[in-house]
Amino acid sequence: MAVGAGRLAGATSRKLRLGGGTTFPGDVARAVDPQVLGKLTSSVRGGVVLVTGTNGKTTTAALLRTLAEGQGLSVGGNPSGSNLIYGLTAAALRLADVSGKVELDWLILEVDELSAPRAVAEIRPSGLVILNAFRDQLDRSFEIDQVAQRLQEAVLGLPPGAFWVGNADDPRVASFDSGSSPRGISKILFGLNDESVGHKLLPAVVDSRSCPRCRSELEFSLVYYAHCGLYRCPHCGLRRPNPDVGADSIRMIGLDAIEMEVVGPAGWRAAISVPLGGVVNAANVAAAMAAAAAMGVDQSRAATSLGRFRPSFGRSQLASWRGASFRLMLAKNPAGLEENLTAVLTLDKSPVLAIALNDGVADGRDISWIWDVDMERLGRAPDLRVVVSGTRARELALRLGYAGVSADRITVRPLPEDALSAVSDLAQTGVPVPCLLTYTAMLAWHNLLVRSGSGAPFFQAP
Amino acid sequence: MTGEEPLRLGHLYPKEMNLYGDRGNILAMVLRAQRRGIGLEVVPISMGADGADRAASCSGFFIGGGQDLDQDAVAEDLIQLKGEVLRQKVSLGAPLLAVCAGFQLLGTHYLTAAGTRIPGLGLLPLHTEASRQRLVGNLMITADPGLELQDPILIGFENHSGKTYLHEGLTPLGYVMHGQGNTGQSRQEGAWRDTVLGTYLHGPLLPKNPELCDWWLRLALGLECLPPIDDSLERSARLEAIAVAQRRDDFSRFRLLGRGLPTKRAR
Repeated sequence: MAVGAGRLAGATSRKLRLGGGTTFPGDVARAVDPQVLGKLTSSVRGGVVLVTGTNGKTTTAALLRTLAEGQGLSVGGNPSGSNLIYGLTAAALRLADVSGKVELDWLILEVDELSAPRAVAEIRPSGLVILNAFRDQLDRSFEIDQVAQRLQEAVLGLPPGAFWVGNADDPRVASFDSGSSPRGISKILFGLNDESVGHKLLPAVVDSRSCPRCRSELEFSLVYYAHCGLYRCPHCGLRRPNPDVGADSIRMIGLDAIEMEVVGPAGWRAAISVPLGGVVNAANVAAAMAAAAAMGVDQSRAATSLGRFRPSFGRSQLASWRGASFRLMLAKNPAGLEENLTAVLTLDKSPVLAIALNDGVADGRDISWIWDVDMERLGRAPDLRVVVSGTRARELALRLGYAGVSADRITVRPLPEDALSAVSDLAQTGVPVPCLLTYTAMLAWHNLLVRSGSGAPFFQAP
Repeated sequence: MTGEEPLRLGHLYPKEMNLYGDRGNILAMVLRAQRRGIGLEVVPISMGADGADRAASCSGFFIGGGQDLDQDAVAEDLIQLKGEVLRQKVSLGAPLLAVCAGFQLLGTHYLTAAGTRIPGLGLLPLHTEASRQRLVGNLMITADPGLELQDPILIGFENHSGKTYLHEGLTPLGYVMHGQGNTGQSRQEGAWRDTVLGTYLHGPLLPKNPELCDWWLRLALGLECLPPIDDSLERSARLEAIAVAQRRDDFSRFRLLGRGLPTKRAR
């Protein structure tokens, strides 16, 4: 009954073009049967793995699905990124047959950090992947301490025998407690093991530099991204644990690809090449490989599987428009924008950069975080032109002005269509322009690019 | 004015109290001084006893917002080790600007949900009480005429669940046009007396409200007025923020099927 009502609502929502029907069917089904999510997902043969954390959920879940599919397993998920409890329900509904059974080997779902404890309680998953805890949408998640607390609750809520994969380089995530030992929860840590991709200085404003155990200030001997790296507490002795699954010999090929070796427990080792850019994505690959190993996926096929990987919606996705080409990169919080700027400034050759900042509910209405990002680096790149767009384009222009970017290098185009035109006028043929976009800006830019016939639509039934 | 000793800005607890783009406030002070040929040196004043000496060398102060746990650690240090020198400096005319959690710390005390009374600096006669309600959103006020701003609108963003009550005789910074302010009911926002000014406006506050930035600089320099500078970038960001605040002060009405914002939070 709940399944039927939900599926009908989804079809109607898509017919009426209200949206992709990515959450509304979930609303309807849950209204009819509040337990529908747990019932649907319990029929998945291998089990459910949840992927959460502030940044990298969509990409890591997609990497994990690709790894499992490469082994010939049937896998489903929520690739549209609807990751609140209603979105998860809608995704499960879509994958269910008329009798309410999900005939799949594995279901890999990305979950919003604040929804993670509830999703764990309802789904009782086989595994949970926690990528990181950064500041995000301050008007919604409030403070990073509370986000970390929710993630810890999610770990403690795991059913007996489950595994969780955590980030050794993120001090908070690495020190989450698995709970009392009789529950048989296994903890697998992933991390980066190549000091050549790290740097010595923490970003100017860091979300989390206090020790999760005693709250003294942590010392970092190396920083990979945001507050993730090699840390120790001078007071209580807490230190970054050695990861069980580590990425080393990391080599970046511009923003187009990362080559690395992933080394796991019992000595397995895989040489990987993925069409993704930036250090954080090397960590995402290690996370996905760690989870795949826990699911029993054979590591020897990983390299072949990941060679076929295609970036998700707006995660370093390429599109073209009026002869110019664009690289769409989601940058929705300080850590994401900081890391994307590092990647663009160190690895990319484009003479133009676009940044779009919207302050819709889905973006977070509080945009004060752009002031915490080290935009001063753009001030020191004298040949780079910057197109700023979005509902808060003028605040972004002020931020760049204060960062030392001269007025003649800034083009202000609040509307997405105007920004796309400005970018295509400034772009160099054949060099994709990096476009750093908040969530609803990404939707708007993507829709324009899709309407003109390039790139695949976002709302796609699997 | 070039060639003189640089002006020293005491930035209180830059590590612990930096939640909402407060770096932008510091940048605004530095750049707007610099554009007038005035050197401004930022002096970080951190936890510990040596901070008091550093504070004694400054002409003005800023304290920003922080997370609850950080705020508790800071409160004690502020009262024990910095209270006396700040009180003295302020009485001699040094400006002190406090945002969000910093604003709460200026008051006589903070009353937690459990009823515990945490003392504050006591520089302004006000106190804050924990509440279950979270006051979040764009915030636009008209500033008190006593501040003599040519354009009295102040614009920013607020995010707090502490409700701040001003005691008899204390003047609010202004009155709410859009948003919640100190309590969500009184329509009062912030507070100020002489050279001490506290507010819930972040976003950050000073880049989009350049006249308030100049108020701080004037007091720190001991000048009646400052030479005008080109404000066009600041002004357009300001107009954009004002338009947003006017358009969206009741978006929550449109949410479907009870998927509200989480409201459970301590402070």
